[in-house]
Amino acid sequence: MAPHLGNEEFFSSLTDLLAKTTEKARGSVTLSQKPLIENVTNSQPSILIRATDGNTSAPRVKKDGKVVKGKASKATRVKFSTVVTADELEAFYTRYAEICKTGMTGLKKRDRKRKAKGKGGAKAAKA
Amino acid sequence: MTYLETSQAYLEQSAQLLQAYPETTRITTKYNFPTERPAQVLKRTKSQSKLQPTKPPSTEPPTAPIASLTLKTFNPESGITIQYRTNKLQEVGRLMTGLGKLAAGADVASLGLSAPGVAGAADVEMTDAPAEGTPAPVPAAKGKKKKGGKK
Repeated sequence: MAPHLGNEEFFSSLTDLLAKTTEKARGSVTLSQKPLIENVTNSQPSILIRATDGNTSAPRVKKDGKVVKGKASKATRVKFSTVVTADELEAFYTRYAEICKTGMTGLKKRDRKRKAKGKGGAKAAKA
Repeated sequence: MTYLETSQAYLEQSAQLLQAYPETTRITTKYNFPTERPAQVLKRTKSQSKLQPTKPPSTEPPTAPIASLTLKTFNPESGITIQYRTNKLQEVGRLMTGLGKLAAGADVASLGLSAPGVAGAADVEMTDAPAEGTPAPVPAAKGKKKKGGKK
């Protein structure tokens, strides 16, 4: 496992990954969050955030250093993570939500009404 | 695996699960494009052009399927899974902010959702009869699980 990225690097990597996936219109991006349990017992644990494209057919390196070849050995698996401390959580999630909102454009848009489509005026009025 | 009906129910039940197992519960968010067989692509393209007979969408290629966003709260200890799925872009911001609150250890009350936690849990139709005095949403998820720690 590669070392954790800084929060800023994580955001830029995530923006790239979401953009790429949306562009291809296939595959997925999986994000996970869980408390990072350290030996030190804080009152509030840090949160570990991971992101991956879930490309399991790509070769991966096992813990003992062995490389397991997948179905598509040329494919690469994108995988990165970051750690957010408890006091940074709020600021982090504000950015995080913003990035997801702007990056996940493959989802249904609110103004994707079929009647309004193609009318330039409708869009301008909403914006 | 069943999905909850509303994002509010998802966040509330997740908060309760996180409270019960704060250290081992994890939340995954999956932004996924469906994989389609060529025949399915054809079908979808056809139905889209049928709905817009005169104006084919020019802004986006008609071959792009609509992605979905799946949120899953899973606790390996108890095998409880809580899921919610949406394909609406407008929900993303609210959901992610909610996840932030969950990460910060917010309880049901401090999620700032309109209905109080108990009422929200009662709204969920799939809630089975509560057993052994555990909080209502927990057995609700328990009944549905297929995998996990129960052996």
